[in-house]
Amino acid sequence: MHHDREEHEEEFSGQLGDIRLWRHMLGFMRPMKRWIALAVFLSFIITATSLFLPYLVQQAMDKYIVSGNLTAEERFSGLSGLSAVFLMVVLLGFVTNFFQVVVLEWTGQTIMHALRQKLFQHVLNLNLSFFHGNPVGRIVTRLTNDIQNMYEMFTSVIVTLFNDGVRIVGILGILFWMNQALALLLCLTFPAMVLITLWFGRLSRKAFRQIRRQLAAMNAFIQEAVTGISVIQMFLRQKDTHRRFSFLNEDYRVSAFYQIRVFGIFVPLIEVMSSVSLALVVWYGGGEILRQTMTIGVLTAFISYIRLFFQPIRELSQKYTIVQSAMASAERIFGLLENRDVLTTAEHPQVPSQLAGEVEFRDVTFAYDGENPVIRDLSFRVKPGETLAIVGATGAGKTTVISLLERFYDPGQGAVTLDGVDVRLLDPLWLRRQIGLVMQDVFIVPGTLRENILLGREASDNEVGRLVELSQLSRVVRQFPDGLETRIGEGAMDLSAGQKQLLAFARVLARDPRILILDEATANVDTETEMLIEQAIEVALAKRTSIVIAHRLSTIRRANRILVMDHGSIVEEGTHDELMARRGLYFHLQTLQNGGSAEVPPQESQRVSPYLP
Amino acid sequence: MKGSFFSHEGAGERNHRGTSPWSSLRVIAPYFRRYWKRVLLGLMALVLVDTLQLIIPRVIKWAVDDLQRGTSSPTALAWYGGYIVSLSILIGVFRYFWREMLLGFSRLLESHLRDRLFSHILTLDRTFFQRKPTGEIMALATNDLSSVQLASGMGLVAFVDACFMGLAAVAFMAYINPTLTLIAVLPMPLLAVFTRLLSSKLHVRFKKVQEEFAAMTEFARATFSNIRLIKAYNQEDRQSGRFHAMGRAYVKENLWLSAIYGTLFPLSGLVGNGSMLLVIYFGGRLTIEGIITAGDLVAFISYLFLMTWPMMAIGWVADLFQRGVTSLHRIEDLFREKPVLRDLTQEKGGLDLRARGEIVVRDLSFQYPGQQVPSLECVHLEIHAGQFLGIVGRTGSGKTTLCHLLARLYPVEEGRIFLDGVDVNHLSLDKVRASIAYVPQEVTLFSETIAFNITLGKPDATQEETEAAARAAAIHDEIVAMKDGYQTRIGERGVKLSGGQRQRLAIARALLLDRPILIIDDGLSAVDMETEHTIIRSIAGYLKGRTCIVVSHRVAPLADAQEIVVMEGGRIVAKGRHEQLMQGSPFYAGIYRQQTGLHEAQGTCSPHGVMSRRISHAS
Repeated sequence: MHHDREEHEEEFSGQLGDIRLWRHMLGFMRPMKRWIALAVFLSFIITATSLFLPYLVQQAMDKYIVSGNLTAEERFSGLSGLSAVFLMVVLLGFVTNFFQVVVLEWTGQTIMHALRQKLFQHVLNLNLSFFHGNPVGRIVTRLTNDIQNMYEMFTSVIVTLFNDGVRIVGILGILFWMNQALALLLCLTFPAMVLITLWFGRLSRKAFRQIRRQLAAMNAFIQEAVTGISVIQMFLRQKDTHRRFSFLNEDYRVSAFYQIRVFGIFVPLIEVMSSVSLALVVWYGGGEILRQTMTIGVLTAFISYIRLFFQPIRELSQKYTIVQSAMASAERIFGLLENRDVLTTAEHPQVPSQLAGEVEFRDVTFAYDGENPVIRDLSFRVKPGETLAIVGATGAGKTTVISLLERFYDPGQGAVTLDGVDVRLLDPLWLRRQIGLVMQDVFIVPGTLRENILLGREASDNEVGRLVELSQLSRVVRQFPDGLETRIGEGAMDLSAGQKQLLAFARVLARDPRILILDEATANVDTETEMLIEQAIEVALAKRTSIVIAHRLSTIRRANRILVMDHGSIVEEGTHDELMARRGLYFHLQTLQNGGSAEVPPQESQRVSPYLP
Repeated sequence: MKGSFFSHEGAGERNHRGTSPWSSLRVIAPYFRRYWKRVLLGLMALVLVDTLQLIIPRVIKWAVDDLQRGTSSPTALAWYGGYIVSLSILIGVFRYFWREMLLGFSRLLESHLRDRLFSHILTLDRTFFQRKPTGEIMALATNDLSSVQLASGMGLVAFVDACFMGLAAVAFMAYINPTLTLIAVLPMPLLAVFTRLLSSKLHVRFKKVQEEFAAMTEFARATFSNIRLIKAYNQEDRQSGRFHAMGRAYVKENLWLSAIYGTLFPLSGLVGNGSMLLVIYFGGRLTIEGIITAGDLVAFISYLFLMTWPMMAIGWVADLFQRGVTSLHRIEDLFREKPVLRDLTQEKGGLDLRARGEIVVRDLSFQYPGQQVPSLECVHLEIHAGQFLGIVGRTGSGKTTLCHLLARLYPVEEGRIFLDGVDVNHLSLDKVRASIAYVPQEVTLFSETIAFNITLGKPDATQEETEAAARAAAIHDEIVAMKDGYQTRIGERGVKLSGGQRQRLAIARALLLDRPILIIDDGLSAVDMETEHTIIRSIAGYLKGRTCIVVSHRVAPLADAQEIVVMEGGRIVAKGRHEQLMQGSPFYAGIYRQQTGLHEAQGTCSPHGVMSRRISHAS
C-alpha cells in the first residue's frame, strides 16, 4: 500500500545528457570564469606534481641506486639532490592543493549564491497562483537542498572529474612516452572498463533512487506517527501502526541489500581489471627487459602509474550518483526559473499624482482554476472615505475581493478600478503603496520593533512615537526592555497574537494609505487587548476608503454600508439595522454568530421567522 | 553530519549520570550475538582479502628479482602474470562475500534498531512528546541511526582492514629492514596529531555553517509563508536584500570551513609522500651500500603504498566511531524513557466497553512539567452518565488540560478522577481509552485515504457505517464530490483539506466509535456557524445515552448543554444552565456579551429558542 507513495521529487530523472541544463549552468558560471580558470590551472599543477613523483622515484632507482657506472660518492650526492627536488615537489603539491580547495569553494559558493539569490527573487515575484499550487516547504527545498545538491556536484564532481580527467590523460601520456607498446596493451582493457562502469551506473542509479524514495516514505511515516501519537494511542492503533511501519522498514532494508550487492560486484570487478593490467605489465614489460629494450626502473614506474590510474576510475563511478541527484535538482531549479507566471504590467504604467480613493468593481468574474468562478458578476462601488463591510460565510469570496483589488490576480471578466482607472493600467508598486492591508497573519522581519513598524520608511522619533500612540502599541513598547529598539522575531522577543495585530495597524498608519483593507482576525485575545484593537481599528478607518471583512459587530456598525456575500455574489446590501429588519441571510448569520437573538425578543422573532414551518 | 560531539555540549548534560558513551554499546550487543556467524565469517573473509592483497607485491618482487638476476624467462613471466590475475579473482570473490556479510550486518542492525525505536516511541506518552520536539525524534530516527549504521558497517570494516593492513605492511617492511621501517613510519604520528587538532576545529566551523544554513532556510520559509503581505507591502526588494546578506554570511562561513578542509584533506598525502622521501633517501643509500637488494627496495616502496590507506582510514574511523557511539548514546537515552502513565493493574484484554460513562472529578490540580503555574486548581466536577456538559473559557483557562486528563493523556494522582466510580488509576489504560471517543483541538490526519482516517479506530467498519458517520459530521457530500470519494488520498501527494474539513473528519472518526463517552475539545472552531449547527443537530441522536463533553470558546454551541462549566485561570468559576449563568455569573455573562457584541443584551433571551429556530432552518 505504500509502494505507490512516491516522492514528488522522483518525477525528475536528471538526465546527464540534457544539454539545456548544462547551458543554464554555464550561464551561471560565466561571471566566475577567471576563478574557474585559476582552479583549472592549479589542478594542472597538482596533477603534474603527483605524476612527477613516481618519475623521480624511477630516476633515483635507475640513475643512482642500481646504476653501476658511478662511484658511491656520486650516487649518494645524486640521490640527495633528487630527494631535495622530491621534497620541493611534495610541498608545492600540498600548497597548491590547499589553494585549489579554497578557490573552488569560493567559486562554487559564489555561483550557488547567485543562483539561490536569483531563484529567491524570481519566486518572490511570481504570481500568487503559483503559491497556491506549491507548498512553501517545496519552494524552500528548491532554495536549500537542491542548491546544495548542485553545489556538491560542482565541487566534488566537476572538479574531481576535471582533476581525474587531467590525471588520466597525463598518465596515459607518460606511459606512451615511456613505452608505446606496453601503454597500447594497457589500453586494451579500456572497453571492458567502460562497459562495466556504464552497466554499474545504471544499476546503482536504480538502487539509489529506490532507497531514497523508501527512506523518504519511511521517515514521513515516522514523522506522522510521532505528531499523531496521541490519536494512535487514544484509538488503540499501536499494533497496527507498528505492523505497517515494519513493512516500510523491511522494504528499505531489502533495497539497501540490493545496493550492497551492486557495489559488491562492481568494486571487485574494477579491482580485477586493475590486476589484469598489472599482470600484463609484468608479463610484457618483463619480456621487454629480457629483450633489453626496457629498464627495471621503467617497469616499477609503470606499476606505480597503474595504481594512480585506477584510483580515479574507481571513484568516478561512485560519483555518478551525486551527478544524478544534482542533475535532478538542476532540472527542478531551472524548471522553476522558467516559470514566467508574473504580473503583466501595462506598457506605460500610470502613476496618478493624486488619489481620491474611489474603488469600483464592475461585473467582475474570477476563477482561481479558470473554470469554477468564486466570484460572479460582482459590482459595487466604494466612495472616497466610505467604510464598506463585507460579510458572508467561509468560501463566499470575501478574501478574493481583496486579492483582486491588491492585484494579486486579474479578473477573468470585468474590471476593478481605482478613481475610475483600471488597476491593470496602474503601476503595481504604486497601487500597493496606496492600499494598506491588515490581515490575521502578521509577518515579522528579523530586526527591531521600530524596523518592523516602518518597514523601510523613514520617520523621525516623534512621528514613530505618534504612530505607536495611535495604534495603541505604547503599552507594549513600554513593557519591552529596549522599547522600540527591542529585537523581535526568530530567536528574540516573541509577540503575542494581539500584539501582532496592533503592530499590523501601526504599519498601516506608518504608510498612511488612501485605502485600507482590513481582514479582521477572529483570534481569541484577552479583553484588554480586544479593546486596544478596537481603538486601533477606529483610528485606522478614519478618513480612509475602507473595505473590511468584518467579524466584530462593533466594526460592522462602524461601516457606512454592508455587503452580504454568498457564493461569489452580493445577496444583500444596506446598513446593519436595515439588514436586520430584512430578516435575510445577514440576520441569519448574525443570530448564528451571536448565539442568541440579536436585539429582537425571541417571541417576536419566532413569529416572523420565515424559517419556521 | 552533526557537530555536537566535539563540542561535548550534548554529551555533557547526559554525562551527569556517570555513564560513558561507550557503555551504550550494550544496546547493539544483542545484535552482534544474534548475527555472530555473519560477522565472524565476514571478518575472516576481510582478513583473507587483505592477506591475498599482500601477496601480490611479493609476486611482483619475485618477478623483478628474477629479472635483475637475469634468471627470468617469458614463460616464468607469464606464470607471474597468471598468479596476479588468479589472486585478484580470488580477492574479488571474498571481497563480495565480506561486503554482503558485514555491510549487510550493518543494515540488519539499522533495521532492527529502527524497529525497536519506533515501537518504543509508540509506548511513550504526552509528557515525553511535550519535552522532546518532533524534529529531535526525527533526528534520532534519521541522522543518529545512519551514523550507527555507518560506524557498524564501513566503520568496522575500515577499522579491521586498516589495523590489519597497517600492521602487516609494517611487519613486511620490518622483515626487509627494521631500521628503514622505523624511518618510514616516523612522520605518521604527526598525521594523527594534526588530524585530531584540525578535526575539532572543523566541527566548530561546520556547526557555524549549519547555523547560517538553518537561518537562511527559516527566513525563506517565513517569507514565502507571508507572501501576500510581502507583496501588499512592496517588501520584495527588502526581503531579497536580507536574503542576500544571509547568503553572503553563509558563503563566508563556508570559506572558513574550506580553509580547514583544504589543510586536512591533502595532509595524508603530504605525510605519505614524506615517508616515501625518507625511504628513497635512506633506502637508496642502503641499496647502494649493498645492505638490501633493489628488489627489496621496490617491495618496500609497494608496502609503503599499502600504508597510505590505513593512515587515511584511522582518522576517519576514529571520527566515525565517535559519532556512532554518541548517536547510540542518544538512542539509548530514548530507550530509557518510560511511559509515565503505567498500568497499575495487570488487567489486560477483555475490554468492557459497557462503561456507563459516569465521571467524577475530585479536587483535581495539575501542573505541566517544567511550568511554574498550575494549569488546573481544585477542580470539582460530577458528570453523570448520559449528560451533555459544556465547558467554556478563554484560551489558557484549563479547558484542554482537563480534557487531556480525562482522556488519560497525562498521569493523575490517585483519588482524583473516577470512571463509573472506579479510580482511573485502577483501570487499565486501554480500558479507559476504549471508553472515550476524543476529538482533540488539533486534528491529526494520516497521509492515507479518507476512509482510512475515518475508520482509524474501527478498521473493520462497513462502508455504510463509515458513510453514516461522515453524514453525521456533515462531510459526506464533500467526500463524495472528490474524485476518488472515500478512497481519496490526503496529505502532501493527495488532496489538501481545509481546517473545517479536517475537523469534521475528526468528528466522523469519533462518531464511528461506539464508545460511551465523547469529548470534543473545541473541535469545531474552524467550521462555520451554520455547519456547526448542522453537526450538533445531527449528532444529537448519537449522543442519547452517551456522556458528552464539549469544550468551546464560543458560547453558542453549548446552548443545549444540560450543564455549562465556566473556567478561568485553571478553576471552575461557575456552573449551571445558560439562563442561570446569565443571571448568576457576571463572568459568563461578560464572555457572552463580548462574543456577541450585545452590550445591551437582555437577560430574557433564550438560546434554546434560537437553537430550535436554527434546526428548523437547517432541515
